[in-house]
Amino acid sequence: MPMDKSSPGFLNTIAGDALPTCSAACPVHTDTREYVQRVSMGDYEGALDILLEVNPFPSVCGRICHHPCESHCRRAAIDEAVSLRMIKRFIVENTRQYRIARRKKAVQVSKDKSAAVIGGGPSGLTAAMDLALRGYKVKVYEKDSKLGGMLAHAIPRYRLPPEALAEDIEDILATGIEVHSGCTVGQDISFEQLKKDNDAVLIAVGLAESHSLPIPGTSGKGVFLGVTFLWDVANGLCPELGKRTLVIGGGNVAIDIARAAKRLGPEKVYMACLESRDEMPAWKWEIDEAEEEGIEILNSWGPKEILEKDGAVTGVRFRRCSSVFDAQHRFSPTYDDSETNTVAVDSVILGIGQKANLDFLAGSAVSVNGGRLICDRESMGTSEPGIFACGEVMTGPGSAIQAVSTGHDAAKVVSHYLETGKLLKLPNKKVLDIGELPAVTAANARHFDRVCVELSDPAERIKDFSPIEPVYTEEEALSESRRCLSCATGAHLQFPNHCAGCLTCVRICPFGVAQVRRTAFMPPQQCQTCGLCAAECPAFAIDTLRFPTSAMKTAVEDSVSALDPGRIARPFLISYCCVNGTTSRKYLGEQSAEEIMESGILRVLVPCVGRLSMADLISPFELGADKVAVVSCPEDGCYYPRVESWLDRRIKRTQKYLDQIGVGGENLQLFNMEGSGDESWPRIWEKFRAVNLETAVGNL
Amino acid sequence: MSDKSVVKSGSNLERVLSSGHFAVTCECGPPKGADVELLEKKVALIKGCVDAANVTDNQTAVVRMSSIAASSILVKNGMEPVMQMVTRDRNRIAAQSDVFGASALGIRNMLCLTGDHQSFGNHPKSKNVFDLDSLQLLDVVRTIRDRGVVNSGDPVQGGIKMFLGAAANPFADPFEFRVIRLAKKIDAGADFIQTQCIYDMKRFRDFMKMACDMGLDKSCYILAGLTPLKSAGMAAYMNKNVSGITIPEEIIKRIKGAAKNEQAEEGIRLLLDQIQEVREIPGISGVHIMAIEWEDRVREITERAGLLPRPLL
Amino acid sequence: MIVADPKPFLQVKGYLEDFQKILVVGCGTCTTVCLSGGEAEVQILASGLRIAFGKDGRKKTILEECIQRQCDLEFVEPVLSRVESENIDAVVSLACGVGVNFLADRLGKTPIFPGLDTTFYGANVEQGLWAEMCAGCGSCIIAHTGGICPVARCSKHLLNGPCGGSEKGRCEVDPANIECVWQLIYDRLKRLGRLEDLRHLLPAKDWSTASDGGVRRSTREQLYDI
Repeated sequence: MPMDKSSPGFLNTIAGDALPTCSAACPVHTDTREYVQRVSMGDYEGALDILLEVNPFPSVCGRICHHPCESHCRRAAIDEAVSLRMIKRFIVENTRQYRIARRKKAVQVSKDKSAAVIGGGPSGLTAAMDLALRGYKVKVYEKDSKLGGMLAHAIPRYRLPPEALAEDIEDILATGIEVHSGCTVGQDISFEQLKKDNDAVLIAVGLAESHSLPIPGTSGKGVFLGVTFLWDVANGLCPELGKRTLVIGGGNVAIDIARAAKRLGPEKVYMACLESRDEMPAWKWEIDEAEEEGIEILNSWGPKEILEKDGAVTGVRFRRCSSVFDAQHRFSPTYDDSETNTVAVDSVILGIGQKANLDFLAGSAVSVNGGRLICDRESMGTSEPGIFACGEVMTGPGSAIQAVSTGHDAAKVVSHYLETGKLLKLPNKKVLDIGELPAVTAANARHFDRVCVELSDPAERIKDFSPIEPVYTEEEALSESRRCLSCATGAHLQFPNHCAGCLTCVRICPFGVAQVRRTAFMPPQQCQTCGLCAAECPAFAIDTLRFPTSAMKTAVEDSVSALDPGRIARPFLISYCCVNGTTSRKYLGEQSAEEIMESGILRVLVPCVGRLSMADLISPFELGADKVAVVSCPEDGCYYPRVESWLDRRIKRTQKYLDQIGVGGENLQLFNMEGSGDESWPRIWEKFRAVNLETAVGNL
Repeated sequence: MSDKSVVKSGSNLERVLSSGHFAVTCECGPPKGADVELLEKKVALIKGCVDAANVTDNQTAVVRMSSIAASSILVKNGMEPVMQMVTRDRNRIAAQSDVFGASALGIRNMLCLTGDHQSFGNHPKSKNVFDLDSLQLLDVVRTIRDRGVVNSGDPVQGGIKMFLGAAANPFADPFEFRVIRLAKKIDAGADFIQTQCIYDMKRFRDFMKMACDMGLDKSCYILAGLTPLKSAGMAAYMNKNVSGITIPEEIIKRIKGAAKNEQAEEGIRLLLDQIQEVREIPGISGVHIMAIEWEDRVREITERAGLLPRPLL
Repeated sequence: MIVADPKPFLQVKGYLEDFQKILVVGCGTCTTVCLSGGEAEVQILASGLRIAFGKDGRKKTILEECIQRQCDLEFVEPVLSRVESENIDAVVSLACGVGVNFLADRLGKTPIFPGLDTTFYGANVEQGLWAEMCAGCGSCIIAHTGGICPVARCSKHLLNGPCGGSEKGRCEVDPANIECVWQLIYDRLKRLGRLEDLRHLLPAKDWSTASDGGVRRSTREQLYDI
């Protein structure tokens, strides 16, 4: 049976312009809900389409995204957030062939204007791709031999293997952008030349250099700059570390440095930072993983001096950092010099932050102040017309996906400039989201454990740079995708004129969500999409936005009309199955007419069979089915509370009615699957079809 | 409100009561058909044992000979009837017409009832009437008797003489309302009351105390209803199935305590004890013995209770 | 609201044996609310009829429609025209008896059959449960009974208190399912401190305003010449 592939954005009818919190939190507003739902229906390719619609780096993001979507997942109000990044990674790693097949052909240059992009990181490449897709000639200048910027050089392979990045870059390059790698602007080609050759220049150089520290001892042997260190590691130039290494810094880059250092063999790796544990800017999960690997974190210490003996590092002296931020939450550390600490180490790596290398702008009209590029955040323009900036050089340190987001924006402003010669002020993005899941609704929802994967054993994983995180199996991905609440895709009053305000929806809603204000109203932010109200509505005025049963009915009719009644293996069974029971795509795909006729089984997959109305249960018999099976979750396994008992009543009423109309109530049966659908459905079908074979024939 | 000093119909029952005798009534159910002989046999069994016999009106909604016709047969046979009339089966037109007919046939006592719901009888699919309730029937008949007009206000040709009774159930709920309802029935025209059968003597005493406190015994004669238990089985059945009747545990135990073939005798001994008990309750003017399908024991019962001979007034 | 229950399927099917093109018409008001005659039930009945006649080897055309109310001309008119223009042989109405009558009066030569048994005026006291609350007697007396109607809710329509069949708040006619309304009235008046209201005899009721007075009409002088 065909899947529901409604296009993203289709939800605006019930939730207005408000996005689900996951999408709203994502800098590129990935239609998270939609890709997860596609996964849950086995449509991994469709899910990839959704990912690629807004993000050219899904492989990267599947590995290393800091996933604000998860941090804002409304499911957290019930139990735990949906593991969206892992689902994303599953999609990418299970659609490789499809991805290559759908890869865009090089876009024909259709405009007579060109743009140069300085920097081949995520934001520069995103902007370049978007501009190429708009028909401009785009040239990317990357100082390194490889594209990807920080993704290629600063993220250790155990987190992001080069193949993952390569997949994304392949897609981007396929659009036909011209890449000049190993070409440092300012050395290999002058900035002025770029300006002359192009109608616009986009500076996307990122923050590629580490800050040093204004303390004694930083120039000694055994002191490394973080980004340089990571670059060397990424390029196989193993820096020589001593037995005891200390990383200064408490952010994500510092963690990467420390964990990479750990893999180079020192006996002891420390991290020291000004911040207290709770203030550390690194993601909590990264800190946890680092500690698992034996990295010791020294919090609330400010480095005072790197100690040397004979030109070699012997340790770092710290003083207590009593506070990091002032009352306005600005970075303004204060120290208590009476408390000091010396850590004996032989290597120190500085991971306290990055800066841009803007040397190539020297002598140009583009203003730089204190090493920072002057750039208007709304128009993304620099002080010189036609010169724009995006990515971290404009925003300061940020995430990969944020860099992608500014790349998209940059393409908009640059193409506007190319078309009109004017600056486009991007509206201050105020994204409306649907708000948190109200506690009262969450309290009624059932708990389902998040599917977690086990990282490699810390003792093992520190031995090399092998990836430490396994990808979801199909079963895990499907299972996790079904934890998604598919927020705001629930029930809505599709035919307001039909609503008699009977209150059945209010009374049957297991979440206490439905209301009647003259007519029925299911607040989209609260509805959990169980579909019970739609099934029981006496006016059939309610439908669900996700998987409307009206559409299912049409699809079943279409499937049956393609069959030759005389050739269907009897008894002909139409089986409604809860999609949540599947552990693979085995039964999620479309059935051919041949397959249906040969097997005598038509599968109709429904996200919870509780939404089937009595009419839905009868209509298959009208279409010629001899038997109708309704296969729900394992007992007490339904995602929704109380659905099972309502469905049971509905089935019983329908069975009585079928007796009256001469079909025989026994030809409609409710089954609970045992174990997974993949295992138990065939058994159920076989058993049910075998009952009363002789009487079942001939309902057409 | 009834005034005891004014003669209502001059029936035997009224005379017995007004002269201060302890009255005795029983039931005489009409046959499920036109079998006059059967009815006359019953009359013979009770004649001389009671002051009047209640002729039920399609009791428990089972179709029987009409209470007017049966009452008339009792009159002919020298047994004074208390004609029961229920409002279930007749509207105010039929009811008043029947009252005229009854009076014309010499019937002088009537008991105004609402009647059991037809769902209990043998025609549960029938339509009921309930144009009036029992109180309104009392009121309508009393108005004909005392004011000479029918319910519409039209004058009556020739008066009627009728001693008007009503039922009271002290054991139904809400208990506190039961005395109020008794008072309403007296207000509506009841000259005498026959109660539902009494087993819970304590509750009955409480009820009578409330009635006497309100002075209801002064304006109305109250006959205590009693039904002999034929067996422990009957006791259990009534306790469970007849609403408004609760049989205290000790009574069920007492009947059960007797040997199977002794249970009927124990039932009668219990009844005799009950008769003595109610005689001593202030405000009680007589007993109404509902010996269901046990008319042949009425003579024995009244004899052993010392209620015979009945006064001839 | 008017409450109605679905007729047994075979009874409805029996009405339709002789007809070929049949229109099932639902009602979007009372019978939708009491879950017996709305869009959903129209589909269920129509589907059932198609299957059942199909099994008899007779293919009939069963059409479906659900209108807002079957007791108002403007709502009913499209049905009348459809019956005319599509040459419909018979109509099954899933409205209360009012709707069936109203359509019958206007359907000319096309027969109409009730799909429901209309039961009472009641309230939805619990999910899936309706109870009779008013008998439409035309002269309301519930000012005397605490707003609770003994005409509708007493099995014997008693007006002067409970009969002897009231036990523990239940009616002897069906103790499991019927409350003794006089217990309810008593309790309510007690709460209201108005038990004295029950002391007075309510005389024989005027039933001429009920259907006993002949078929009734109701007029509004602002809209209708009386």
